[in-house]
Amino acid sequence: MTTTPAPAPSSGPVRVVLVDDHRMFRTGVRAELTEAMAGGAPVCEFVGEAPDVDSAIAVIRRETPDVVLLDVHLPGGSGNGGGDVIRGCAGVETASGAPVRFLALSVSDAAEDVIAVIRAGARGYVTKTINARDLVTAIRRVADGDAVFSPRLAGFVLDAFGAAAGEIAEVDEELDRLSAREREVMRLIARGFQYKEVAKELFISVKTVETHVSSVLRKLQLSSRHELTAWAMGRRLV
Amino acid sequence: MPTPYEPAASRAWAASEPPRPVVTRPPLVRSRTAGWTPGVCDAVARHLGVSRRLVRAAFVVLALSGGAGVAAYLFLWALTSESEDVAPAGSARGWSERRRSALLLLGGGVAVVVGLALLVPGLGVSLRGSGILPVLVIAVGAVVAWSTLDEAQRSRWLTGRPGGMTWVRIALGGGLALLGILVLMTRGRSISVVWDAMLAALSVLVGALIIAAPWAVRLWSDFRREQVAAARATERADIAAHLHDSVLQTLALIQRQADDGQAVTRLARAQERELRTWLYDGPQGSQQSLAAAVTEVAHEVEDLHGVPVDLVVTGDRPFEQHGAALSRALREALLNAVRHAAPPVTAYVEIGPHGVEAFVRDRGAGFDLETVPDDRLGVRQSVLGRMERHGGSARVRRRDDGTEVELRLPPLEGEQS
Repeated sequence: MTTTPAPAPSSGPVRVVLVDDHRMFRTGVRAELTEAMAGGAPVCEFVGEAPDVDSAIAVIRRETPDVVLLDVHLPGGSGNGGGDVIRGCAGVETASGAPVRFLALSVSDAAEDVIAVIRAGARGYVTKTINARDLVTAIRRVADGDAVFSPRLAGFVLDAFGAAAGEIAEVDEELDRLSAREREVMRLIARGFQYKEVAKELFISVKTVETHVSSVLRKLQLSSRHELTAWAMGRRLV
Repeated sequence: MPTPYEPAASRAWAASEPPRPVVTRPPLVRSRTAGWTPGVCDAVARHLGVSRRLVRAAFVVLALSGGAGVAAYLFLWALTSESEDVAPAGSARGWSERRRSALLLLGGGVAVVVGLALLVPGLGVSLRGSGILPVLVIAVGAVVAWSTLDEAQRSRWLTGRPGGMTWVRIALGGGLALLGILVLMTRGRSISVVWDAMLAALSVLVGALIIAAPWAVRLWSDFRREQVAAARATERADIAAHLHDSVLQTLALIQRQADDGQAVTRLARAQERELRTWLYDGPQGSQQSLAAAVTEVAHEVEDLHGVPVDLVVTGDRPFEQHGAALSRALREALLNAVRHAAPPVTAYVEIGPHGVEAFVRDRGAGFDLETVPDDRLGVRQSVLGRMERHGGSARVRRRDDGTEVELRLPPLEGEQS
């Protein structure tokens, strides 16, 4: 997750809203991203920020950004932080008609946090230690409708779907297991491979990798596997 | 007349124990684990610093000369408190518990038989007129019921539900006492009078329960509330202490070393990790599971060189010698990566039924095994050699923008492959 240069913008800068309850962190992210984009064409443009659930929903509904950088733990709402924002903004669309997309940004590695926000509808999950260049790439990717998996999220997926244990025959629901290819992609991402490295390793195109990752994301959001529902139940999400 | 609880001075196992010399006078506390008796004699002996046998003999003599010994014994039993941690001289705890409850049941059974015999004159036992046996039955019943309310058990009651044995004892004891009282009160009268008296006693009991219930409930809820508040205060104090010891100290260190960027990063990273572990994982021993062991190795390397290592682990298995070899080889590979290559260093360890696979990936210039100079035997010996000795394998792959070391271990014996 590092040295990939930020891809060129496909259709103007990505409009971004930053939601985090720490002012210092918001300032830091803005400064870093601005610096990382200095010199090249601006990939993203900050159109608003918010420190809590209610103001976040208001800002997002007003600005209809392409991507919302969303902290997992936020004050306000019904106590589910980022998940509340995503549910509160269900159905909001950008000017071009695409849905507003969410990228979760958190200090927490705890499985239930990750799973909760992904199941609420986020398109990806990165930790706050991510460097600016990778963050730009991730924002671009989420804006294009793809999913962003950090190595750790891929690890969670492998754990949750029992893929690491090679358990495939036991579940028959298609949603509840990973295909062999998806599992391979997840393992490579867990090993720290960039999407294009994954593509090269498996002799497939980057687009195919993105398709696999999006499909895993969908399963993660919709699967009724016991481990996932247990996590979600713990946070009163289902 | 000795009760079943009268300590018998002639017990062989007790007599074989030597008297314990006592220097300072210990408190008059009964030991829960003293044996199958309530431990009164033991407590008195310990308190007075005399032989337990002597105390027992004194009690027996007193009991035989007019019953004073029995009274004193019961008095001491009721009024001395009980302690778990006074070390008894002798028997193991589980054994004594079992003997004690077995004896209680036996005593209860005997008492039931006696009580029935009292109620059935047809058996030819004409004890109906005598007052001694009913009193005895009352005493036995009360003792059986009370013994469940010993100090140690009471605390166990408050924390958990009483077990089946406790209920049996309470029911038995209460029933016996009630029976004894009835027999005593209705001596020489007909069964219907007994029945009436029983109903009257029952209604008084129920009435008392109804009156006492609100108080009991309030006391109980007060007690629970206090308990919860105390637990919260303790938790808060723990958190404050932990933050003080860790985060505040690190922040102070960071302020003093603000000029040294690398040191600041290292401190912050180590502190972040420590706090994260404390918040999300709870304490865990690194010697118990392979996942914990490799995590510890990655953290150690991070601390040594101040280079972040992104480690992802899936699955787990017990930590044994092959796993130990893998974690040492992983450590060597990580050290190589942070020393000779550019960050970030990523590591992925997959522990499953098909064995263990570990990958260490860096973004350095990479190296070729054939061209590794002799003074850098680290990789060849401590990574490749070690894995092969433990039935595994290791491979170094050169990629476009870095190197990947791959370690493999077969599954544990007895697991599927």
